Amino acid sequence: MFDIIFRNITQRKLRTGLTVFGIALGIFAVIVMGGMSEHFNQTFDRSISLTADKIRVFPEIGFGGGNLNESKAREVKRVPGVADAYGLLQAALDPESLGFFGGDVVIGVEPEKFPSLLKDTKLSEGRFLTVGDGYRTVLGSSVAREFNLKAGDEMQIKSKRMQRTSSITHARNFTVVGVMEYTGSFFDNGVLIPLNIAQKFYNRGDTVSFILAVPDPNVDAEDLSKRIELNVENIKTFSPEQLRKQIEQSLIVFTLITISAAVLAAIIGGLSVMNTMLMSVSERTKEFGLMKALGAQTRDILYMTMGEAAIMGVLGGICGIIGGGALVYYLNDFLASKGTVLFSVTPRLLVIALVFSILLGVLSGLYPAYRAAKMSPMEALRYE
Amino acid sequence: MNDPIVSVRNLSKTYMQGKIPVHALRDVSFDVDKGEFLSIVGPSGSGKSTFLSMIGLLDKPTTGSVFIDGIEVTKATDSDAPRIRREKIGFVFQHFNLIPTLSALENVDLAMRFARVSKAKRRERAVELLTQMGLFDRMNHKPSELSGGEQQRVAIARAMANHPAIILADEPTGEVDTKTRDMIVELLHGLSENGQTILIVTHDTAVSARTKRIIRMLDGMIESDTKVEGY
Repeated sequence: MFDIIFRNITQRKLRTGLTVFGIALGIFAVIVMGGMSEHFNQTFDRSISLTADKIRVFPEIGFGGGNLNESKAREVKRVPGVADAYGLLQAALDPESLGFFGGDVVIGVEPEKFPSLLKDTKLSEGRFLTVGDGYRTVLGSSVAREFNLKAGDEMQIKSKRMQRTSSITHARNFTVVGVMEYTGSFFDNGVLIPLNIAQKFYNRGDTVSFILAVPDPNVDAEDLSKRIELNVENIKTFSPEQLRKQIEQSLIVFTLITISAAVLAAIIGGLSVMNTMLMSVSERTKEFGLMKALGAQTRDILYMTMGEAAIMGVLGGICGIIGGGALVYYLNDFLASKGTVLFSVTPRLLVIALVFSILLGVLSGLYPAYRAAKMSPMEALRYE
Repeated sequence: MNDPIVSVRNLSKTYMQGKIPVHALRDVSFDVDKGEFLSIVGPSGSGKSTFLSMIGLLDKPTTGSVFIDGIEVTKATDSDAPRIRREKIGFVFQHFNLIPTLSALENVDLAMRFARVSKAKRRERAVELLTQMGLFDRMNHKPSELSGGEQQRVAIARAMANHPAIILADEPTGEVDTKTRDMIVELLHGLSENGQTILIVTHDTAVSARTKRIIRMLDGMIESDTKVEGY
């Protein structure tokens, strides 16, 4: 029966082509939007997994607004159950533009805390920062690619300082001593410099943006997080679980928006299949009547019409995946040169897109097929 | 004496045209023996085609029964009807009703697909039938490439594909010229000589005159049932 299905599809080339194109557009949207959602999920997952064992300590009045004195790190460290605590200073690499997607970030960190902060992240070249390093930096892979920098090169970093009512921009060259391997996390967009240099360069005195507290082995991070809040004044903590929940909440909204747009596009594609199949069934009313007179069962007609719809769905799905995959590949390549990556076409996404396209074809073909199968052979044969 | 291959008992069909009942068939009864070649004639609206639809399970009677090969087909459920149509009945239509995208061979093959006959056997049977119809050289042609007579011969081959108990032909010569008509009637006659039961509905007296039995219908009833002697 497959040969008849195939023949019916190929007999009406233009119509089949337009329908397949409709589905392909829908699946194209699924790949592009889904790819974006997948990339964000992966980045957050990898970033969290790198720092999942640590509790974040922020100033009480807000994430970025308040000042957190470095001495707070010592107070945090004194809380029973805390193995280590150290401050990080964070600032946008380009103070003039704060990009929404993956803006590069300067991170000031004490060099001896590197193993704790980056875990087993390896360098693709050079070395990590060591105690006593001055205006030296270790770059994330995306930053190095964006600015085409290697170990030994100089990198200019700007800082903006408020003085009375005006702001003055300072610029300073940092020597790149190392470049990290790709981690798929926020650290790819990181410019790591020694904490004391960062505090001086950004005129932040003894303050840090936040503190990371490392719990002792076998200590429950949730409990410890609460204990730190009780023992240290004017701070609030985010346990790994709280952080994960908060990020997941914002990711859900983002995922919903992207997936809704993709599903909408795909449904429009599905309607085009339904329209084509309804026209096709209507045109072939007499043919179906004849088949029934020849002894075709309802399931034969259903198989034939739904098979056509499903094949158009698969063809559209494959075209959409190839088109979407190609766009994502070239966009990623282009964006990588700008220091960011926006899409991840994962095997899971490919399977979802393909299954979705088949379902779309089959579901859109369901009603036309039902109409064809339920036709009275007598009426169908009389149909003109 | 052999049992009849088709028995029609008190068959009636009433349609509602708005609120007005139209009696298309009124209490029709008769038997058809195996190998009979009979025609049903009568003016338009006399109930010939309605009657054919009842035997072919394309429509259900209001009352009465049809038996084919001893099976009461009028009691068949919707799920049984396709099997009975496949196994017992072969249709030949006025407009040939071949599928335009399929070749002659594939059109004949299609009838056997629904009967789940294996591909090799389907092909063998289709070639055999088309050769019998004198279409060996034309079997890979599509309907649009065949003459009316050739198309109707393909339709007859298709009707015979599943070895039906009876072939029901609805105005099979209605669309062809007289020469082709004669050839088709000869063909059907030859099949009946070989034991195939054939029932033709026709307007054409030249066709009915060459069948062995003529049932004349008028206003949904059998007006006369005549055996033609000496054919």
